[in-house]
Amino acid sequence: MLETRNLDKSFGAVHVTRDVSLKLERGERRVILGPNGAGKTTLFNQLVGELTPDSGSVHLAGEDVTALSVARRARQGLSRSYQKNTLFDGLTVEENLGLAASIHTGHASRLWSDCLSKPEVREIVQEVAEQVNLMPYLHATVSEISYGVRRQLEVGVALATRPLVLLMDEPTSGVGPEMSKGFHDLLNNLPRDLTMLIIEHDMDLAFDVADTITVLNYGEVVFDGLPEEARGSSLLKEIYLGSWENA
Amino acid sequence: MFRHTPLRYAALVLLIGAALTQTFTAGYFGLEILIEILILGMLVLALDLVAGFGGMVSLCHGALMGVGAYAFVTLNVLVGLDPWLSTLAAVAVTAGIAWVIGAICARSHGIYFIMATLAFGQMGYSYIFESPLFGGDDGMGGIDRFDLTSIGLDLNDSKTFALFCLAVLIAVYLFAAAILKSGLGRSLIGVMHNEKRMKALGQNTWRVKADVFGLSGIIAGIAGVLAAQHILFISPGMLAWTVSGEALVVVILGGLGTLVGPLIGAAFFVVLKHQVSEVTSHWHLVVGVVLIAVVMSRANGIFGWIEARYGAWIDRRLTDSTRTETPEEILTDA
Amino acid sequence: MTTDLGFWTLQTLNALQLSMLLFLLSIGLTVIFGLMHFVNLAHGALYALGAYIAASVASVAGFWAAIIIAPLGVALTGVLLYGGLIQRMRKSGPMAQVLVTFGLIFALLDLTRILWGDLALAMDTPALLSGQVNLLGVTYPTYRLFIILLGGVIFTALALTLARTQIGAMIRAGVDNDSMAACLGINVERLFFVVFCVGCALAGLAGAVAAPLLSVTPGMGLQILIPTLIVIVIGGLGSLKGAIAGSLIYGFVQTFGAVLAPQLASVLIYALLAAVLVIKPVGLFPAKG
Repeated sequence: MLETRNLDKSFGAVHVTRDVSLKLERGERRVILGPNGAGKTTLFNQLVGELTPDSGSVHLAGEDVTALSVARRARQGLSRSYQKNTLFDGLTVEENLGLAASIHTGHASRLWSDCLSKPEVREIVQEVAEQVNLMPYLHATVSEISYGVRRQLEVGVALATRPLVLLMDEPTSGVGPEMSKGFHDLLNNLPRDLTMLIIEHDMDLAFDVADTITVLNYGEVVFDGLPEEARGSSLLKEIYLGSWENA
Repeated sequence: MFRHTPLRYAALVLLIGAALTQTFTAGYFGLEILIEILILGMLVLALDLVAGFGGMVSLCHGALMGVGAYAFVTLNVLVGLDPWLSTLAAVAVTAGIAWVIGAICARSHGIYFIMATLAFGQMGYSYIFESPLFGGDDGMGGIDRFDLTSIGLDLNDSKTFALFCLAVLIAVYLFAAAILKSGLGRSLIGVMHNEKRMKALGQNTWRVKADVFGLSGIIAGIAGVLAAQHILFISPGMLAWTVSGEALVVVILGGLGTLVGPLIGAAFFVVLKHQVSEVTSHWHLVVGVVLIAVVMSRANGIFGWIEARYGAWIDRRLTDSTRTETPEEILTDA
Repeated sequence: MTTDLGFWTLQTLNALQLSMLLFLLSIGLTVIFGLMHFVNLAHGALYALGAYIAASVASVAGFWAAIIIAPLGVALTGVLLYGGLIQRMRKSGPMAQVLVTFGLIFALLDLTRILWGDLALAMDTPALLSGQVNLLGVTYPTYRLFIILLGGVIFTALALTLARTQIGAMIRAGVDNDSMAACLGINVERLFFVVFCVGCALAGLAGAVAAPLLSVTPGMGLQILIPTLIVIVIGGLGSLKGAIAGSLIYGFVQTFGAVLAPQLASVLIYALLAAVLVIKPVGLFPAKG
């Protein structure tokens, strides 16, 4: 469903992505682990097109999308959420979801109809709001809801474009352990055919959701396999847990 | 998202009422002032649409209005085309040019966007100023107002022309409000709030900006045609950047991003200009000081201030009726 | 006539003279923007003020006193503006700044009218510079040559100050990252203030040296504003290199455009600006990448 081949990116002398090749099957849930500065977000930015790789390619559903713009990739089914909330701040939760949904349905560029009141759009808004537990907040503006709820909305907005592949950049960043657990239950309840790539900082939580695990260090894939293998891997402990404990 | 609150409806009704009262009670000079307000009202609606709801602070809208006026006069007077056809063509030309400017400038942001639109506006100004075809520095005259005698209206009568302009302004307002409530308008507001996210969701953001800029050009073009018919003479000065600057001042004075506010701003600005001019020739000093005061006050113009006061009043009433405050809370509130 | 070498020399000198005048104006504006992210549209009004002060002083105390007192007077106005307005607008968005300084243009325009009246003032060139010089086969007014040299001297002085001195290093650090500069212990506020005053003084100097060439009118600030903005946007905001490059581009395009393609000249420079913004939206040599 989503594949990268030999992605490489440098900023001056800093090599942020080294020869990264990943392959996600349809419905696969892969968690990317790695210490701070391992190049996780940079990799995401190259997947969605916010950064152009120096070499290598990105493939979505079998098609090479490396040359396509952010918006084109999104329309082809690649959606992402951000580590730092990237929402429409003055608008309500419903409007945030509705805007995303109507871009997906194609109503967001029409001049003579209101996209937000279209039945198709309302249906998506309703469904996503239930999926990410936003029903009680639909009419509140972003500034009125708590940080934790904003994190839910951040994922909800990404979901409302009905993506094939959902990339989530630390969806639980900044929320407490209790809520993180709830967040992972929520992710586990999403449709099984949705392919997910999740950046996660907390290893234990990662194992709740992951079918497969990729570990990045200094922009390089140092582990790629099943969660059970990851748990036992000494290499992983050294690289990841070592720096985690120091952090 | 753009909404018509009860306060906005009330303000609109008041504005229309005031315009009608003025039409039927004012003398010739009062009617001229009213028409000036109505036409400026169209221009500032066009500007508020892009600046207040799309974050595109344009310094070329005056020039766009001028393009509308020049295109109309060229087709109607020089070519001898039917006035209605000329109007249609002039508005289409203005919208087309506006779309192209919007498409080119859409990549720029903040001060660069302002400069880029300024460059295009000045390009138009210089071209018209230098070009002998359009009368150059001397401008062009020989303009007639629309002939509506077939339905019993004589637009050469100031009162009738004022009513005609009021009707057009109302139509333009409804058009602008319809754009803002459409999918495209919602997208524009999304782009203003967070362009990066709109792209990540799959929206072609430059296209949204260019389309709305083009639609705003339609309104500017209509304002231009009516401005030409109002003064019956056009000159390159219509395209100068200071016209765009003044329109921006009016939008800010009235309340950016409220659509109703800029109309109030237009009325306030034109009346203030004429009142001050009667007393002193230093009208610019007054408007400069008023502008600085409004921006420094951090209120969103006159209407923005009224909305904030009204909102606070509603909130107070709601809290009063839903809970009884403890003395400590009253103290901290104060 | 266009095959004549003298013609090219003459036009080149004219272009240089215009460029240097614009450079004096744009350098202050661009560094103020680069350092403070402040858009001061009233910069042109300060230039007009400089011209008025210079014309008044020159009629009493002569040219040389005028070009010293005018920059000081304008810098003093800058101090007042900084304390009263600019400092408070620092954290506002570009829109609010554009509007406040737009209001300032209006206010200063009428203030100069109230103080000096509507009639144009004239200022004489000093006896020392009033002649003509033979240069590369053309006779050229000494005064215009003086402006070119003055621009060159100021440019060199600023380039050396920025590259070699401590305050130059502080300014470069501030343009690059003002919060980082503040962390390094640089008194950013005082730095801003100094730079703002120097920028104002240079605008005043530009007004003073332009006064003998042009007639001094209240509208001269508004006339020069657009060319100055074009210069800094083409050059890229915040950099000395951008200001000099933009000034030279504007000066040459405008001067040669006017003699070679008079029909297109005025449109040409705006088209160039639009092209730069499309291809490089942040200008040719922006202070930050």
